[in-house]
Amino acid sequence: MTQTSVLMTSLRAQALNFLLTLALVGAVTAGLYGIIRLTGLTHGSAVYLIPVLIAGTRWGIPTAVFAAVCGVLASAFFFFEPLYSFQIKDPHEVVNLVIFTFTAVVVGQLANRLKRQLELARQREIDLSDLYAFSRRLAVAFDVSDIQAAIEDHLASVMQRKVVLFGPQRDATSAAGHVGSGIPTPVLDMVDSMASGFDSVPGQAAATGTIVAGDSGDVWLVRAVSASRREFGVIAINLGRASPANQDALRARVDAVLADATATLDRLGISHAISEARMRAQTDQLREALIGSVSHELRTPLASILGAATVLGAAPALKDEKNLKALVQGVHDEAERLNGDIQNLLDASRISSDGVKPHLEWADPADILHSALRRCQRRLSERTLAIDLPQDLPLIHVDAVLVQQALVQIIDNAVKYSQEGTRITISAQALGDRLLISVNDEGAGLSEAEKATIFGRFVRGERLSATTSGSGLGLWIASAFVTANGGKLNAVSDGPGLGATLTVELPVTQTAVPQLESDADE
Amino acid sequence: MNDASPIVLVVDDEVQIRRFLRTGFELNGFVVHEAATGAEAIRGATLRPIDIVIVDLGLPDMDGSEVVERIRSWSNVPIIVLSVRSSEAQKVQVLEAGADDYVVKPFGMAELLARVRVALRRQSRASTGEPTVVVGPLTIDLAARAVTLNGQRLTLTPKEYRLLQVLAQHAGNVVTHQHLLKEVWGSIHVHDTHYLRIFVRKLRQKIEPNPDMPRILMTELGVGYRLAQMPTEGEAAWAEAGGERAKP
Repeated sequence: MTQTSVLMTSLRAQALNFLLTLALVGAVTAGLYGIIRLTGLTHGSAVYLIPVLIAGTRWGIPTAVFAAVCGVLASAFFFFEPLYSFQIKDPHEVVNLVIFTFTAVVVGQLANRLKRQLELARQREIDLSDLYAFSRRLAVAFDVSDIQAAIEDHLASVMQRKVVLFGPQRDATSAAGHVGSGIPTPVLDMVDSMASGFDSVPGQAAATGTIVAGDSGDVWLVRAVSASRREFGVIAINLGRASPANQDALRARVDAVLADATATLDRLGISHAISEARMRAQTDQLREALIGSVSHELRTPLASILGAATVLGAAPALKDEKNLKALVQGVHDEAERLNGDIQNLLDASRISSDGVKPHLEWADPADILHSALRRCQRRLSERTLAIDLPQDLPLIHVDAVLVQQALVQIIDNAVKYSQEGTRITISAQALGDRLLISVNDEGAGLSEAEKATIFGRFVRGERLSATTSGSGLGLWIASAFVTANGGKLNAVSDGPGLGATLTVELPVTQTAVPQLESDADE
Repeated sequence: MNDASPIVLVVDDEVQIRRFLRTGFELNGFVVHEAATGAEAIRGATLRPIDIVIVDLGLPDMDGSEVVERIRSWSNVPIIVLSVRSSEAQKVQVLEAGADDYVVKPFGMAELLARVRVALRRQSRASTGEPTVVVGPLTIDLAARAVTLNGQRLTLTPKEYRLLQVLAQHAGNVVTHQHLLKEVWGSIHVHDTHYLRIFVRKLRQKIEPNPDMPRILMTELGVGYRLAQMPTEGEAAWAEAGGERAKP
């Protein structure tokens, strides 16, 4: 049924080509007829080479021959004595026509061959530029998923078909991750068995691929990207409703493209790069997981220490024991500082392991700022605090908790790098489509070099590292949290010793603020 | 409720946490019962009269919000949960399940005691039908629907009053965004957080002596709002001694 319909479509296209050829010949005849009438010329049959050439280049040899025959018949009918009959009086003219027919057929064939070569050259050029784009993309690929995406896109663009690449087993990109993504289950099963059975059957099945029928009549080709390199994974290509003959042609094409691609991969040493990147990713994961679990394990006893210290500090037995109370307070403060550091490590591992996913909702910037100030109350108690907060700040669509944590880090930093009794000014303002929250201190300031590196991970001001404590994570976390909310964090300073201003810049989508219903306050 | 010595049930699987909570509560005149698991907690709460329950959300045998739900199904004893930071969604969930308030771990004893006292006070106000809520200079007379600031009568719009009323009914305890939106604007507006932001701003202009530095209507980011509890003198001393709220 599919094949018949394909056949019908191609027949219809052929018929159309013949009709067009006929129309061309008709047009030439009409033109010639007019010219001959006007000028009295008799030998115009060479003009019929035009439709022959056109048909030959466009639609192939049969139409070219057809054009030649039509041309001969038309000249015999319209231009050779006796007119309006296919008979020809002059035997010279007959020879003429035979020569013309022969020339027309040869020209048609030549034109057709030229066209094919042109097409091939064009296809080769596209392939080459694809391949070039592919290798350029590979050269800048950062990790395994980049490389796999590059292979996938390259194949899809060359094959003009849906192509899905699956990483080797036990990988985030293996078949299990694609369930429900529109790829038929039998195809996924085949991918799975091919990926897992790779070691035992490195032979033909994996290398040349297997046809799997998907749903809705589509067939998929499933095969290994490379017969010898497991790490390149397995691909599934949607061949559409191709006929068996067509399937073979497509398979040959896939073979050619994959041979090119794997050659490129080998040349660039991608195989090595893939295993290395995967190993690096695993090491990173392990490190983050370790930080995460160790920090968590540390927090539980810390909660007991902190809680117990507060109970001890207020115990009636210690009421008049100033020194003992100071000791307890010391335990409490140090435990609290440790807790802050652990919290930073947890935040940092959260940022690098799975990224920050903000939970966006409408928030009042003043609320966020007040909460941050409340959390920093004690640390701020030895600074003069000035707050400039306009009444009519726009609502912002952010994760309020993340923005607050960023502000706490920034305020903390301002306190850490400034002297007792100095002023810390916190101000907010709406500026066009942005909301700016600035924290200004009269502290150590920043040199040009420090400004460039201040938001890096584990970066600490070297001038002051001896006199201040910290992990160098605070502003890195702040910057990550602000960025996750679509904003950015800027640092401005007149120089070392001259204080610094850190500004959180957040987007305000004024028009998108949903309006209150008119009766909201009825 | 036993005025002389309230009974607290402490539910936490960490023995050291239970130990300092026991000492802290006993020093402040509470009688302490302990439970290490959710099942034990539910059994303990049914067997004995309990005035307040402290539940850690990370119990080994069941989810903290399940413990809250199970106790809530037959008792309106005040419940305060102990939660970790960065889990606002979990806090909201457990508050919706019926918990009265939460404290973020690690916490100081003063902070927990303040929350406990607020919850107990609210419980006794509910049972005696006391209609007036006082928060510093602000007085809300729920019976007369009258709000005064430093003795001056305030004019609030109906929605502003309703907002304040819901907060006052839970004075000192956190009220979630969802609860406020549902009570003031109705269930269909339960996700329209911006209504709340705008009305809280308006309300603060009227009830806060210094709206730039709110002391009465406090924000609990990502969770909700609370009317501040103004500590009595004894509690204030406690807070001094134990220091400010520990950095979560």
